[in-house]
Amino acid sequence: MPAADVAIQIKSALHELQKTNLKDPSLGEVLDLAQRLTDAMQAFFGSLDRSVYSELRYIAQYIQRTRDEISELRPNDIREARIPSAGAELEAIVKHTEDATNTIMACAEKILSCDPNKPEEYTEAVQAHTMLIFEACSFQDITGQRVRKVVDTLKHIESRVGRFAQVMGVNDAPPPETPEEKRKRDLLLNGPALGGPETAQDDIDALFASGGGPASQDDIDALFN
Amino acid sequence: MAVDMSMPILVVDDYQTMVRIIRNLLKQLGFENVDEAADGQAALAKMKAAKFGLVISDWNMEPMTGFELLKEVRADETLKTTPFIMVTAESKTENVVAAKKAGVNNYIVKPFNAQTLKAKMAAVLGDF
Repeated sequence: MPAADVAIQIKSALHELQKTNLKDPSLGEVLDLAQRLTDAMQAFFGSLDRSVYSELRYIAQYIQRTRDEISELRPNDIREARIPSAGAELEAIVKHTEDATNTIMACAEKILSCDPNKPEEYTEAVQAHTMLIFEACSFQDITGQRVRKVVDTLKHIESRVGRFAQVMGVNDAPPPETPEEKRKRDLLLNGPALGGPETAQDDIDALFASGGGPASQDDIDALFN
Repeated sequence: MAVDMSMPILVVDDYQTMVRIIRNLLKQLGFENVDEAADGQAALAKMKAAKFGLVISDWNMEPMTGFELLKEVRADETLKTTPFIMVTAESKTENVVAAKKAGVNNYIVKPFNAQTLKAKMAAVLGDF
C-alpha cells in the first residue's frame, strides 16, 4: 500500500476518535498532536513516492533506450555474419598470397636451374616461367578487393560501437591484461611497424659495428636519438 | 680464416615461404648445406643433435620465440659460441637492444635483400 494511502487511513481513524466527544483534555491534545504528525507524514511519504516513482521511470526508460541501442548495434549480425565473413576473407588473402608467392618462387627456382649453355631450351623456359609469374601476380587485384571488404566491415563495427558508446556515455575502463598479452609484452613481440621499420637498418648496423659483447650505453643512446 | 662454404646453417622461421626465400638466397651466396626448424624448440633440439656454423632465426614464433632460443643458446656451454643472426620484422629499438644484450651477433630487419644478408653474414663469419 502506498505511504500516502496509509497516512489517509490513519487520519481517518483519528477523525473517528475525535467524533466520540472525549472529555479528557490531555487525550484531546494527544489526538491533536497525532493529527499534525499524520499531516506531516502524509506530505513526507507523498514526496517519497513521487521521487521513487520518478527514479523507477527513469531507470525503465534507460533500460528501454539501452535495449534499443543494443538492437541498433545488431550484435547478432556482427557476430554471426560480419566477423566470420571478414575472417574468411582474411584467410583467403593469406592463402592467395601464399599460393602466389610459392608459384613465383618455384618459377624463379626453375629459371635459375636452367642451363644457359642450351640457349633454345633456356629461352623457352624463361619465357614460359615469366608468363607464370605474371599470372601469379594477379592475386594482388583480388586481395585488394578482399581487403576492401574487411575494411568496410571494420568501419561498420567501428561506427556502430562508437555510436553506442556515445549514446550510453561509456568511458573506457582499463582492460585486464590477458596471458597472451603478457607473453607478448614479456617477449617483446611487437610485430612489424606500420610504414617501415621503426629502427632503420643503418642504425642497427651502427650498434653492431661497435663490436661484439653487450651494447654500451652510448650505442643504445645513439639508437634513441 | 676462410669461411667454410659447406658448413651447416640452421634457418629458423615458422613461415615456410621465408625459409624458402632464405634458403634460395643462401644458395645464391654459395651455401647449400641448410637445415630448417619451425620454432625455437625445434631449433634447440636440432642444435643439440648436430653442430651448426650459423643460426639465422626469426623472432616471432610459437611456442618458443627466436629471442628465447638466443638466450637458451647463449646459456648452453656447448652451444654458446654459435654465431646467431636475427632476421625479423621486430624493429623496435627495445628489441634490437635486448637482442644485442642477449648476445646476438647481428640483426636484420625484414624485408631485406641478398646484399644485406651477405653483408651481415660476412660481418659475423668473415668475408666469403
